[in-house]
Amino acid sequence: MAKRARRKRIHQQAVWPRTVSLEERQEVLSFWEERFGIPSETFQPYLLLATAKNYWLFIKPPDLKALQGLRVQTVGLLFTRKVSRWLKPTSTALQRFGHLATKNVVHLQPAELDRLRRERKIPYDASVEEGYVVISCEGKVWGCGFYTPGKLISYLP
Amino acid sequence: MLNLAEAPAYFERYREIIPDFEEFLAHLKRPLPLYFRLNELKCPDPEIVLKGLARQGAQAEPVPQIPNFYRVEPRTFPLGNTEEYYLGYIYPMTLNSALPVIALDPRPGEIILDMCAAPGSKTTQIAQLTKDQAVIVANDRRLDRLTALVANLKRLGVACALTTLYRGEEFPHGIPFDKVLVDAPCSGEGRYRQGYEGELLYQKEGRTNLPAIQKGLLVRAFDLVRVGGVVVYSTCTINPDENELVVDYLLRKRQGRLLECLYPQPHHPGLTEWEGKVLHPDLKKAARFFPHETDSVGFFVAKIERLL
Repeated sequence: MAKRARRKRIHQQAVWPRTVSLEERQEVLSFWEERFGIPSETFQPYLLLATAKNYWLFIKPPDLKALQGLRVQTVGLLFTRKVSRWLKPTSTALQRFGHLATKNVVHLQPAELDRLRRERKIPYDASVEEGYVVISCEGKVWGCGFYTPGKLISYLP
Repeated sequence: MLNLAEAPAYFERYREIIPDFEEFLAHLKRPLPLYFRLNELKCPDPEIVLKGLARQGAQAEPVPQIPNFYRVEPRTFPLGNTEEYYLGYIYPMTLNSALPVIALDPRPGEIILDMCAAPGSKTTQIAQLTKDQAVIVANDRRLDRLTALVANLKRLGVACALTTLYRGEEFPHGIPFDKVLVDAPCSGEGRYRQGYEGELLYQKEGRTNLPAIQKGLLVRAFDLVRVGGVVVYSTCTINPDENELVVDYLLRKRQGRLLECLYPQPHHPGLTEWEGKVLHPDLKKAARFFPHETDSVGFFVAKIERLL
C-alpha cells in the first residue's frame, strides 16, 4: 500500500489559543530584542497568543471576549516556536519583521542561498553569534537559519 | 463548458444591459491581462520586485488608477513560480477584484468580517490597506478553500486576521462588526472569455440555486453588522438575478440604504428594473463593471449601510 502523504490538517473544532502572561510576553519579545535587535515596541500593537509549542502574533482587538466566542481555525501569524527550552523565530515572522534586525543577519550571495536551500547545511563563516540568524539575500529576507562557527544550517521552509 | 461559439446565444439575454454588446462579444475573444498586487506589508521596496521580475523576463508597469497594482507582460508569465511570489511580495489578482475592498474602505481599528474569504485576495488586500491594524475575521465554509486562505495569509505575513469555518448564512451573532464583505459565490459570467480554464458555475452545477445562497449570505451579513455599519456585496457575474435582485431582496426585508462610491474604473449604475420587475430605486447606486470597458473581469458591487 502506498504510504499516505503526511499532511497538516486544520482542526475541525479548534479552540482559542491562550493569551500569554506579561512575563511570558516579555520573555519572548526580549529574545527578539536581544538576538536580533528588534525593539519590543515593534510588537506593541499585537497580542501574543500561545498554543502547545507555538507563539502567535495577533492584532489587539477592541473586544477580545466577543471574538473568543468563535470556533477559530487559526489566529494571527506564527511568530516563535518553543524548541525544548529554547525559543526559535519562525521564517514566517522573520520574512515579515526580519528587515528590522540589526544583528545576527547573514547576507548570502544568490549562489550560496541556492546551495543552502538545496543541501540544508553549508560550510560558512560569518561574524555573527552562534545561534539562530536571519537569512537575507539581495535585500530579501528568506527566513531562519542556525549558525555555528564554520557552518550554516537552513530552517527555511 | 460554454464554447465561445455559444457565447452570443448565452449572453443574448443581457443584450439590453451590456453597453455596446457587439464590442463585449468581440472582447471575449481576447485573453485576460495579467496583474498583481504588491504586498506592502512584506515588500521592503517595489524596485526589488520589479527588478527581480525583469531579470526573469517579465515587465511590470504600475496601474495608475489603482495603487499597488501592476500589469505584467507577457500575460502568460508564471508569476506563481517566482521567488517574489514565494516570499509573499506579490498577490496575482485581476484588476476589478480590487473594487469590492475599495468600496469597503477598511480603516485601522475596525472589526471586519470577510464572509466568503478564500483564497484570500480581498482579505489580504484589507490587511494591507489597514496596515495590518484592523481585526479581520476571514471565514469560508469549505476546509480545502480555507487551507488555501491560511496559506496565503501566512505567505503575505498577515497578523491581523483569524480564520473560521462556518457556513456564511449560519455565522454566529455576538460580534459588533463595523464592516462585512460578502464576495459571494456566483456563476462567474464576468470571468468568461476565450481560454478561460474555469467553467461557469451555472453550467457545472445545474441544480445549485445561487440566488438563494446569495440572499441567505447577504441577509446574514446585514444582521451581523452593527447599526450604522456597512456591508459590501459583490459578485463577478453579469446576471441581475444574482446581483440587483439579491440586494433588492435585502432592502425589502431589512432597513438599509445603498451608498455611492468613487471607483477608479469605468462603471454603470445598477439596474432598477429587470425583466418587467421594478426594483428598489436605491439600486442605481450599485455599480456594474464590464469586461470590455475595464479590460478585466466583469463585476457587480453594492455598498449598503445598515440603518436599523
